[in-house]
Amino acid sequence: MDQSVAIQETLEREENCKIAVQCDVLFDDIAESRLLGLVESAEEHAIFIYTHRRMAITADDVSLEDVIPICLDFAVVEVSSPEELAVVGGDTRVRVSYQEEELELRLPFGSHSRLFLGEVNRAWSDVCKSPAQVPKFEWINKYHKGTRGQGVVKQALTPLSTTLNKLSQHRKTEKSSDKKGTSEREKGSNSGTQKSRLPSSPESQGISSREDRDDLVRSSSHTPSNKAQILAMPQFGLRDNLIRCELLKNEDLYTYLEDFSFFLGTYNVNGQPPKESLSPWLSHTPNPPDMYCVGFQELDLSKEAFFFNDTPKEMEWTKAVTEALHPDAKYALVKLVRLVGIMLIFYVKKEHAEFISDVEAETVGTGIMGRMGNKGAVAIRFRFHNSDICVVNSHLAAHIEEYERRNQDYKDICSRLQFRPLDFTQPPLTIMKHDVILWIGDLNYRISDLDADNVKELISKKEFETLHSYDQLKRQIDEEAVFVGFVEGEIDFQPTYKYDTGSDLWDTSEKCRVPAWCDRILWRGKNIKQQHYQSHMALKTSDHKPVSSLLVAGIKRINTEAYKKTFEEIVRNIDKMENECIPSVTLAKQEFHFKDVKYMQHQAATLSLFNDGQVPCQFEFIQKPNESTYCKPWLTANPPKGFIAQGGSVEIELEVFVNRSTAPDLNSGKEQIEDILVLHLERGKDYFIPVTGNYLPSCYGTSIHSLCHMREPIQDMPQETLRKLVEMSVKENAANTEKPLDIPKELWMMVDHLFRNAIKQEDIFQQPGLRSEFADIRDCLDTGMPDSLPGSNHSVAEALLLFLDALPEPVVPFSFYQQCLESCSNASQCEKTISMLPQCHQNVFNYLAAFLRELLKNSAVNRLDVNILATIFASLLLRSPTKQDLAEKRKTQEFFQHFLTQGST
Amino acid sequence: MAKQYDVLFRLLLLGDSGVGKTCLLCRFTDNEFHPSHISTIGVDFKMKTLVIDGIKVRIQIWDTAGQERYQTITKQYYRRAQGIFLVYDITSERSFQHIMKWASDVDEYAPDKVQKILVGNKSDEVDKRQVATEQGVKLAKAYGMDFFETSAFTNHNITETFTRLAEQVLAANKKDLDLLRMSINDEINLAALEEEEGLLCDGAAGDQGKGCWC
Ligand SMILES: Nc1nc2c(ncn2[C@@H]2O[C@H](COP(=O)(O)OP(=O)(O)O)[C@@H](O)[C@H]2O)c(=O)[nH]1
Ligand SMILES: [Mg+2]
Repeated sequence: MDQSVAIQETLEREENCKIAVQCDVLFDDIAESRLLGLVESAEEHAIFIYTHRRMAITADDVSLEDVIPICLDFAVVEVSSPEELAVVGGDTRVRVSYQEEELELRLPFGSHSRLFLGEVNRAWSDVCKSPAQVPKFEWINKYHKGTRGQGVVKQALTPLSTTLNKLSQHRKTEKSSDKKGTSEREKGSNSGTQKSRLPSSPESQGISSREDRDDLVRSSSHTPSNKAQILAMPQFGLRDNLIRCELLKNEDLYTYLEDFSFFLGTYNVNGQPPKESLSPWLSHTPNPPDMYCVGFQELDLSKEAFFFNDTPKEMEWTKAVTEALHPDAKYALVKLVRLVGIMLIFYVKKEHAEFISDVEAETVGTGIMGRMGNKGAVAIRFRFHNSDICVVNSHLAAHIEEYERRNQDYKDICSRLQFRPLDFTQPPLTIMKHDVILWIGDLNYRISDLDADNVKELISKKEFETLHSYDQLKRQIDEEAVFVGFVEGEIDFQPTYKYDTGSDLWDTSEKCRVPAWCDRILWRGKNIKQQHYQSHMALKTSDHKPVSSLLVAGIKRINTEAYKKTFEEIVRNIDKMENECIPSVTLAKQEFHFKDVKYMQHQAATLSLFNDGQVPCQFEFIQKPNESTYCKPWLTANPPKGFIAQGGSVEIELEVFVNRSTAPDLNSGKEQIEDILVLHLERGKDYFIPVTGNYLPSCYGTSIHSLCHMREPIQDMPQETLRKLVEMSVKENAANTEKPLDIPKELWMMVDHLFRNAIKQEDIFQQPGLRSEFADIRDCLDTGMPDSLPGSNHSVAEALLLFLDALPEPVVPFSFYQQCLESCSNASQCEKTISMLPQCHQNVFNYLAAFLRELLKNSAVNRLDVNILATIFASLLLRSPTKQDLAEKRKTQEFFQHFLTQGST
Repeated sequence: MAKQYDVLFRLLLLGDSGVGKTCLLCRFTDNEFHPSHISTIGVDFKMKTLVIDGIKVRIQIWDTAGQERYQTITKQYYRRAQGIFLVYDITSERSFQHIMKWASDVDEYAPDKVQKILVGNKSDEVDKRQVATEQGVKLAKAYGMDFFETSAFTNHNITETFTRLAEQVLAANKKDLDLLRMSINDEINLAALEEEEGLLCDGAAGDQGKGCWC
């Protein structure tokens, strides 16, 4: 039954209850049933929490208790996540939190609950998608007021917020030890809310107190991201299903049949209370039956029973039945179900009780409006050993001519009566899905085509067979219009309807009904034999006589050993399957070594992944802890993530490139070409891929200071010395035995080369060089001291610029940058600033400026001017420690221009 | 038959490279033994279902790379484990000495509640034994762990070892589990019925009847 209908009746027209679910709210040790509705209005959502009477059908059955708006502060989290400790097949427990409140819910196991949570989650993620659009929830206000007595909602019961609060308080104390940092302010607001929530008057509890609290707590609301947890569908439901399917398929391997006796009784008591012992009906068998399924109709004909489904007769008749069960055995009442006057009680012999499981009961009304309970059926299903059994007690439509209506009632019962499925991935369980179906009741089929006298005459002659051929039920079954597949035993007793109450006399009222076999017992299923089928004339309480039957049914019992073996085999196979389905790849190469990595020299290797698993897989390089990227900055993997079809492969380029930001630490030996990539397969293994290499240090990316201390090419220097030089430059005053060079020899080589060869070179510093020639120049500088450098003038010029660019500390050190900007308009100030630089930096600066002035002397040929050179060199010599804006850039150029024009003025 | 529900645990195999972690796992899940040693480079896992006390326990067993160079990375997997096998090779004194180091890493990185078990593998290699059984027993006692000598080669004590750790993890998480089991068990309260001598009291009938509405 869709309970959202009941909720909808309490709402305004523009509000829509999308889905409702019944659940338990869990407090410290108790659970209370509530009805939750997801209500939408103007694209805003809220969860409405109702207390309710049984299954809610109309607005009268529910009463609003609380409203939780789905806003950014809202979160719903599954309590046991598959990461931790997951239990499948159980109910779903979720924690709903809104601002400072938390509420723990237990939703019944099943797809409906999943659907509900899915909808809630969707509503919430919609809110998160457009955080700018803050929902107002104005439409909820009227409900808040309503609970204060305006009558929108009839009564405000104990407000949930009180209990909510209790729960969250409880949590707080639990957490407080590990949450020491909680601010005082937050604590303060809590105690404040606590006070405001103390009930001042019964009506003002609940939502009104929440309003007070909102103002206090709002400021400490959470950011959505830390609550952004997704309700994941547990994937392992599938697994249980597989096991169940396999077990079912192999049932013959581990079950055997054993007979058990079912006593079935049906009695239309015409609204009478029990007046006589029921023993003649219920305990006339020589041996005690294993089960009792006893059905009544017209238990109570009063208005109260009809409208409120409440009757004292339930207890009276149950007691009468209980007292009349077979005296030679002890019975346990397993289940009782009643719909108005239709009641079914199920007892089991004590020693069988432990083999009964999955007991469910349901009712279906087929009376007035198609749903009232004056006619209809009640049913109990259960599993006994390994057989699924369903017992139905029905009271079908009355009146002799209404047999088609009775057929219709039967069909309605079969389609509308649905039990909760044992597993949410499966559709609801219907009557027909059971191994054994026992159907009893006042089916109300009559005798056609004969008048009362004919009937009575046949009865007196005990020609029941002849009479039976006029029976509507027999005829309808023969025509396959009803009870298809059911069997009824031979009727060897006189009709059970209608007698003058208290006698065995046929109806003497003016209606003078034709006698009929209204009360019947049928069954469907294999291996069932009927031991008896009879009426009980001795009972005279009603205008019907009770009927009983003893059926002996072959029930599937489990051979524990065989079951265990089968089960283990199945589980083993599924484990195997599952392990085979874990994504897996093979790596063509396990480890990568990059030999002789050089500054600005790209190297690449190919990592081939072959998907050797049974499933497609998703791969990604993942970050190691405490690292912000999946690999070191000099390394890239391309692509860093992707998808490989089963049997397919992917080539990933691993690229090493040392640039000016990674070079300094590699030059000094502080860093190595060494990394471990973690290649992760989604839902699968992780592979560790070591990447190693040797780096050849370069003057590129080495400090002026260090270079001034190297009389040999950098690659001839011992690693140890390189490291020491870096340390030394940090503590400037380190005692130094050898006098350093004035300027780095590499710089001198490039500048001297240009001075000698390129002073008249057209477009020098304007035209780019060749990359291959740069590599040669770099190698030359790093390995030896030749008389001249290789490559064209343009290439050498570019190599010089790259050199300046790669300096970890620019020629004008970062710490002097600000001072330079300030003095840029004043030439002497500028010179003064430069005179303060560390000696080697000052030397380099002056050396470069002098060289550039020489170049400018030949500007007619090389087409250079002050502006061009200032633009190029200022940006290399005066680098900002942070980001440089245009105004600053101009100032650096202005600063440097003073030095280019020095000679001419 | 009881209702179907699963418990999922994560167990981790730790120990020096070559002690036989991968072989133990292979033996346990697939009942196979591969004599060649292909060292695990990364983290691999397999699933296995056990039935303990009628509960279906699914365990996910993680096999890690034992080499020193990967340890900073593998340590990050510890905190997701509920149970840990500390494995050494009885033919390698060195691997036994290293158990101390492994155990201290576990203390540092694994959750407090983690269950541990000490495993001396290759018990079939009688002639090459370097670590006496008593040494294992003593160490396990010092750590308060259970101890098994196993052989992935002969399939000796394999199921026992894995089952024991799973049992311990189950016991350590029993409180949470019982809660879950209770919430699942909506079957008829047969126990209560059985206890009562006057089985058929009237009050029970009324209560039972309401059951059908929920
Ligand atoms: N004799 C013997 N050899 C074993 C046993 N278990 C593993 N081995 C061998 O030890 C080597 C290393 O095993 P492996 O499982 O790869 O070690 P892991 O590095 O710890 O994963 C392999 O050559 C195996 O054949 C065992 O129980 N007995
Ligand atoms: Mg291994």
